[in-house]
Amino acid sequence: MKHLHHFSATELRDAFIKGEVSAVKIVETFLSRIDKHNKKLGAFLSVLNTRALLKAEALDKKRAHNQPCGKMAAIPVAIKDNMHIMGETTTCGSKFLSNYKAPFNATSVHLLEQEDAILIGKTNMDEFAMGSSNENSAYFPAQNPWNLKRVPGGSSGGSAAAVAARLSLMATGSDTGGSIRQPAAFCGIVGYKPTYGRVSRYGLVAFGSSLDQIGPLTPTVADAALSMEVLGHHCPRDATSLDLPPDSYRLSKSLEEGATIGVPWSFLENLKPEIRENFNQSIEVMKSLGAKIVDVDLDVIKYSIAVYYILATAEASTNLARFDGIRYGVRSKEAKTLEEIYENSRKNGFGREVKKRIMLGTYVLSAGYQDAYYKKAQKVRTQIMDAFDQAFGSCDIVMMPVTTSGAFEHSSIMDPVEMYLQDIFTVSANLAGLPAISVPSGYNKIGMPLGVQMIGAQMCDVSVMQTAYAYEQASQHCRIPRDYEA
Amino acid sequence: MVFLIHIYMSNFDHQTLEHLKKLCRIECTEEEDADILNSLNRVLDFAAQLNEVNTENTKTCRYVLRGMLKNQMREDEVKDVLSREKFLANAPDQIGGMIRVPSVLKPSS
Repeated sequence: MKHLHHFSATELRDAFIKGEVSAVKIVETFLSRIDKHNKKLGAFLSVLNTRALLKAEALDKKRAHNQPCGKMAAIPVAIKDNMHIMGETTTCGSKFLSNYKAPFNATSVHLLEQEDAILIGKTNMDEFAMGSSNENSAYFPAQNPWNLKRVPGGSSGGSAAAVAARLSLMATGSDTGGSIRQPAAFCGIVGYKPTYGRVSRYGLVAFGSSLDQIGPLTPTVADAALSMEVLGHHCPRDATSLDLPPDSYRLSKSLEEGATIGVPWSFLENLKPEIRENFNQSIEVMKSLGAKIVDVDLDVIKYSIAVYYILATAEASTNLARFDGIRYGVRSKEAKTLEEIYENSRKNGFGREVKKRIMLGTYVLSAGYQDAYYKKAQKVRTQIMDAFDQAFGSCDIVMMPVTTSGAFEHSSIMDPVEMYLQDIFTVSANLAGLPAISVPSGYNKIGMPLGVQMIGAQMCDVSVMQTAYAYEQASQHCRIPRDYEA
Repeated sequence: MVFLIHIYMSNFDHQTLEHLKKLCRIECTEEEDADILNSLNRVLDFAAQLNEVNTENTKTCRYVLRGMLKNQMREDEVKDVLSREKFLANAPDQIGGMIRVPSVLKPSS
């Protein structure tokens, strides 16, 4: 039998169900991989050894007694550290919450456990999910398993590094402007952001409430589809949760007859050669599958970064007001007055990027500037949604690269605007609430993975997944980095 | 990649920063002050590109999911949400089942 970490999540589940491997053996394998590699990778902020082993023992008993096991039986799953697992720490990558123990389960965590997933650890992230490189973690930066000098992307960089190095076979992420898809592309795995509202955000620490979505990072598209069957349920505890039955994913290697892919060629005019070449190859794969390629006009999304950083910071500034040092989190010890508690707890607890974004968000919402920045951005957002609506009138799926390059080196981007522009291909799906997936599409000249993105209309999650599956099966770019094969 | 960046110098100065820090209830170190001022100016200058977009006849986006514009209502019922004990387990300071803060009312002379 091949190494357990060479299985996809779905294959490992099947092997467990058939009795080919025990859940305890699975957990021991992955815990020992974490033990061996996490010091260098920094993918996990905490590892749930005891919890995982207890769950595994319970699962082995369940199987021995011929009781039915869940859809995710024995799959080791890592949880991004901004989602609550009851009784465990949720730091959000911040010093502010270094002592916070979650008093309840996030709905996504509850659903995964209900289907017998094994929660194996909490993954590293940019503080409060603010960043594109994981360098904003208040603890330590996560590294890219393909090259430790390079970033894994962000903000779900720990989740991406964990799955890419096969320290886990699935991880949850949250995507506000690309935080699942960009790290997935940088690390050579699949990352999926569902339609806004498809996955409940109850128990996710909020960043930008009109943009945030939880989704999976996995080795394969089939694994992502499996996790969406589990996660994509209506939840009365999240008022934005879609009141629709869960989707079921039946994936086929061929595209539907007449499938049409829209490409915003004019918006993509200035791609770097390595991305252009790779993207063109992906287009050829779609053509070979019988897809019709059409040109769509999405020029307005060149403004999406400006719109995003106004709206996301505005929403963050209100969401992060709750971190005041009064009810939870680390309260400043030197504070003597109530005001000092607020000011000093926030001074000591928040990192620089978080402070910047709270201030920017407060500024664009403040008297005299709200019309010029916030309301203007909301209008341009409407135009971005209109442009996608129009595009989906002539195609089923929009295809774009995920990133502007392969993973960059640590500390190589210091300018805030240059860093924000890393998200140019991903934020528009959040602004318009669209489902979007990042699938491995090959490697650049220095061997770093690249990804291609497929974006669908709202509620067309199944169609996005189906297109991605056909592409993945025809192209087969997913590999394990050499240092993590053994 | 080159995208259109229109430079309008934003008038975000030290005084604005100090005002903003009060609004946000955030203290910063001196070094952070300088860096944040610089970054916010960079980002606001960048955001000025939105002035190029004609939005005269565009409606403000109010909700993300088109075609799903209905309020999610629920019964206003008392439910067992989170026990006082569980909630207070995370409180930095507490007394008699309540969260303790420094006194905010001055004793009258």
